[in-house]
Amino acid sequence: MKKSNKLNRREFLAAAGAAAVSMPYLIPSGVLAGPRRIGANEKITVAHIGVGGMGGHHLRDMINRRKKGQVNIAAVCDIDKNRLVNALKTAGPGVEPYHDYRYILQRKDIDAVVIATPDHWHGVQTVHAAECGKHVYVEKPACCTIEEGKAMVAAAKENNVSVQVGSQGRSQPEAYLAHRYLVNGNIGHVSRVDCFHYPSPEDNNPVPDSNPPAELDWDMWLGPLHWRPYNQRYCHGVFRWLLESGGGQIRDRGAHVMSCAMWWMGADGTGPVTVEATGTAPKKGLWDSAVLMDVTYTFKNPDWVLTWRQMPNNKLPKAEERTGKEPGGKISRPGYGAIYRGDKGEFIHWGGDGGTWAEKKARQWELPAGGKDVYKSPGHKEDWFKGIKTGAKTIMNIEAAAGVANLCVLGNLSYILGRKLEWDQANQTIVGDRQAQRMMSRPQRHPYHL
Amino acid sequence: MSTNSLKKVSLAAGAAGVMAQTASTALGQGVDGLIAGIKSSSDKVRTEAWLGAGKAGAPAVKPLAKVMTDNDLEVARAAKRALWKIVRYTGRPGANQERRAVETELVRLLGDDQPVAVRREVLWMLSEIGARRSIEAVAGLLKNEELREDARMSLERIPNRRALAALKAGFEAAPEDFKPNIAQSLRKRGEEVAGYPCKKLVPTKKTDVKPL
Repeated sequence: MKKSNKLNRREFLAAAGAAAVSMPYLIPSGVLAGPRRIGANEKITVAHIGVGGMGGHHLRDMINRRKKGQVNIAAVCDIDKNRLVNALKTAGPGVEPYHDYRYILQRKDIDAVVIATPDHWHGVQTVHAAECGKHVYVEKPACCTIEEGKAMVAAAKENNVSVQVGSQGRSQPEAYLAHRYLVNGNIGHVSRVDCFHYPSPEDNNPVPDSNPPAELDWDMWLGPLHWRPYNQRYCHGVFRWLLESGGGQIRDRGAHVMSCAMWWMGADGTGPVTVEATGTAPKKGLWDSAVLMDVTYTFKNPDWVLTWRQMPNNKLPKAEERTGKEPGGKISRPGYGAIYRGDKGEFIHWGGDGGTWAEKKARQWELPAGGKDVYKSPGHKEDWFKGIKTGAKTIMNIEAAAGVANLCVLGNLSYILGRKLEWDQANQTIVGDRQAQRMMSRPQRHPYHL
Repeated sequence: MSTNSLKKVSLAAGAAGVMAQTASTALGQGVDGLIAGIKSSSDKVRTEAWLGAGKAGAPAVKPLAKVMTDNDLEVARAAKRALWKIVRYTGRPGANQERRAVETELVRLLGDDQPVAVRREVLWMLSEIGARRSIEAVAGLLKNEELREDARMSLERIPNRRALAALKAGFEAAPEDFKPNIAQSLRKRGEEVAGYPCKKLVPTKKTDVKPL
């Protein structure tokens, strides 16, 4: 065996090509395809991987875009047969159903994939899609481990594909207003951002392991995770409350609220120097993510502090009263957001995902002559389409998204380990803690790996 | 809401958890006390017990493993979480002696006398804190059909030369159906492997759902 630092795409293709002589079935034709160039007025052909929950929302959204002539929908894929059948009915004729997403990656007529699978699949499927030349929209949080984030960034770059991560808060109208308000110094120099969120749920209905339902491919649901018996409390949807597959509210909503913070603070591409978390564990059941968490991230050069704090509902900041005529309408999810603390005042926003609501003073503020304007997203999917067609960097590109996901990952790691962590942003590594360093990656089951 | 009041609210809400983290060890109940807490029918007592297990260290490893297969699934789960607490606590920087003692006890749980579920969990624990003394026992499980994939992943994560050597030896000895798995671990560890190209992009599962 020869020593090599890594198997890059070219070497992988060479290896696969060499193997083709004796084992041609090992070479998926799609692997050899780079991204197709798509004209400004041309339709993008998309496929959906994971069509329940948010995946169903994305499919319905894409059907609306199909009606407008923006896209073709070529395929839907799910490892739950019931969900697949339902998605097919929703999508209508001309859409091919798949159980194994890798058939989609083989198809040269498909330009882009929308990935809305459980979090533990995001990294692997994004990397695989990029290696097959597909543009990717992947649900947040981008990755479950530091290693996955690095691999996603590298795969997007090496294969020249556009990746948009589903922290769509950045594309909301009031996110633009908040961003503009903050960067123009209306509350002065901001040295602290305190994110707030209501508690994560506890598993109050634990059940023993059992056989998986007939419609579910449990082995493929697990995918990269190590094998374990099926339990109803793993899926669907509730995967979020398990540290391995979801990671609790700090990952589910942290990937939204902290995404806004990193963007508005101009901190994409930077990272904390220390991360310290404490939390309250659930008292029973399968779910193991913290019910309440208190995480402090310290940034240097420039110096600022970001916190993530979960608290009981009655302790949350009171939501602003609205008429419903504001750009973002009424605040329908007041249970999370962030307070920005500057040397001249404070600013608060609620939400941070599909609903992002900025405090009145930011909405009413008008950009003066000579003031600094900021990027205004045309919409999260539109921004992705622009990235696909022009090569422009998407608003929640994979570098930024991996950075935000790393905050969530490091917060959970500090909570799990019960100790403060030091982070080296330049080298993307934890410093001085060998166990934590090992936990920056998690070996994945064959063949569902990066 | 000010920074301080936000922090107070959050900390007060989490106070029970923080207290629980220290409760059982602070009381000096020892391993017997820990196990009694883990076996309690009270959710609160069990939770306090496993949260406080970290400092119990090596002497608690075997007794906890025994409870991991308790018929009461919440008791079994609490024992597993207690064992993980020990692993996470002893893996801290500067605690090599404690870590080695726990590692030694964990390795003893990899024998055929232990249930598969316990051994699988232990393999993952060793993937976080295992070092040279783990390798032989973990590598031995590359021959066990039920546990070989977890053993492979455990070795992949242990960053020493012995683990790499064990993977190489395991690759040579592995049956054909398992060689691609070990080949993947070897690639992750920077080795080039001839004859077993990566199959990660090869689809294998067709659907019987028909297009409309």
